[in-house]
Amino acid sequence: MTDRTHGDDVDPRLLSGAYALDATSAEEAERFERAASASDSLRDEAEELRETASRLGLAAQPVTPSERMRAELMAKLATTPQLARTSTADAPTDAPTPAPDARTAPAVQPTVAPAVIAPDAAPADVDAPLVAVGPAERRAAQRWYTRPAAILAAAAAAAALFVGGGLVGSALNGSGSSVATDASASGLAAIAAAGDTQRSTVPLAGGGTATVVWSAELGRSAVLADGLPTLPDGKVYEAWYIDSSGATPAGTFTAAGSGTSWHVLNGTMAAGDAVGVTVEPAGGSPAPTTDPILVVQAA
Amino acid sequence: MLSLVTSHRGPTDTESAESTAAALESLLEQVAAGDQQAFGELYDRTASRVLGLVKRVLVDHAQSEEVTQEIFLEIWRTAPKFEAMRGSAMSWILTMTHRRAVDRVRSSQSGHDRDERIGIRDIEPAYDHVAESVEIRIEHERVKRAMAQLTDFQREAISLAYYGGYSHTEIAGILAIPVGTVKTRLRDGMIRLRDALGVAS
Repeated sequence: MTDRTHGDDVDPRLLSGAYALDATSAEEAERFERAASASDSLRDEAEELRETASRLGLAAQPVTPSERMRAELMAKLATTPQLARTSTADAPTDAPTPAPDARTAPAVQPTVAPAVIAPDAAPADVDAPLVAVGPAERRAAQRWYTRPAAILAAAAAAAALFVGGGLVGSALNGSGSSVATDASASGLAAIAAAGDTQRSTVPLAGGGTATVVWSAELGRSAVLADGLPTLPDGKVYEAWYIDSSGATPAGTFTAAGSGTSWHVLNGTMAAGDAVGVTVEPAGGSPAPTTDPILVVQAA
Repeated sequence: MLSLVTSHRGPTDTESAESTAAALESLLEQVAAGDQQAFGELYDRTASRVLGLVKRVLVDHAQSEEVTQEIFLEIWRTAPKFEAMRGSAMSWILTMTHRRAVDRVRSSQSGHDRDERIGIRDIEPAYDHVAESVEIRIEHERVKRAMAQLTDFQREAISLAYYGGYSHTEIAGILAIPVGTVKTRLRDGMIRLRDALGVAS
């Protein structure tokens, strides 16, 4: 075994994988960072592999922390000073060494001055909602009711979702299955990894549930369904983006034989869009021809 | 009947940013300005991911919570250093998370527990059938699929490094191969994983 020979690496690039995985020694990490700061291509590779490593992190099973931990943490904020903000490399810098304070206030007006935290702040009061969708969601809901009568049935179904989930659609059964493509899975992973991912889950008439996940940032959404019934030959599920001007086809899909079926919608989700799914003849339709099995107001 | 006409829409309209929940990036921005409420929201949205990853590496629950708390204090402390140009907020957080978990596993008694529990294992964790959200399972599926595109050697090395928290030297010892070989497997494997997951800068 010829280990412990890592001192002889000439090319720091060889360490990029180990670095991204935190598998280097501290000295090597430092050496690598120095090399990366001097090389654009090495820095790009390092950042991409870091991002890749964080996908491995996202795949770990989440564990809900105790309530106590949150309270303790919030209590500690008041006594934990923050670092001064540095000017970013991309910011237009007129002075080469900007005064730290002059750069601490970008577009956002700080509610509390950086590094000077009010000691009497009451952390227990902080109880932010998991997803802040209130006003936007209400706006979106209102929009539903201004739409053509033709989609009122769908609107009602969507409205039911806002009050805790409603039963939509009709029972389906049959046979035939397919597996989601890698491209679809890739899109789904991107949506799941987005910073603003939201979701809404509704029960399906067949007994399963469907979840629509979306990222307004990416303008993408996906439908995921557990226990989605397989359809008879010649029928497919078709997804739609629905807005006030109508429904735009967003791709067809079939149910997975078992487990979770999913479909990443084609096209771009715009603000105020709803996501719907209908059953259509194989190949899909240019416009929906049946009642939706689900409609979720997104964005 | 949904008898609607197909419409064509232009590119994403500008409303979408305004009508969405705050992205993690903008939350971090607020945290950087000392906003404790934003920090609370950031915590609520990421804590289970952070603890999940820490626990994956450390196993011990109490210790994992302790480290998770340290990580969130570090997020609070260093949020002003976050650069959105350099990657996503989630990636920034998980990078910090993994580094902290690994620091702990290498500096503590838990290293011994780890040696006993691991051996050489796959990335397949014991999934609770119920509690899992659809997205997490999908994410897991996605990574599993990407991992399947690696060679066995690459997969083994990456799993030991990332989920086991082992250094390349330790991996070399476990597998009885030269460190240089481990580095090569880690790099080639990560590059292949990057391509399979479609990660681009």
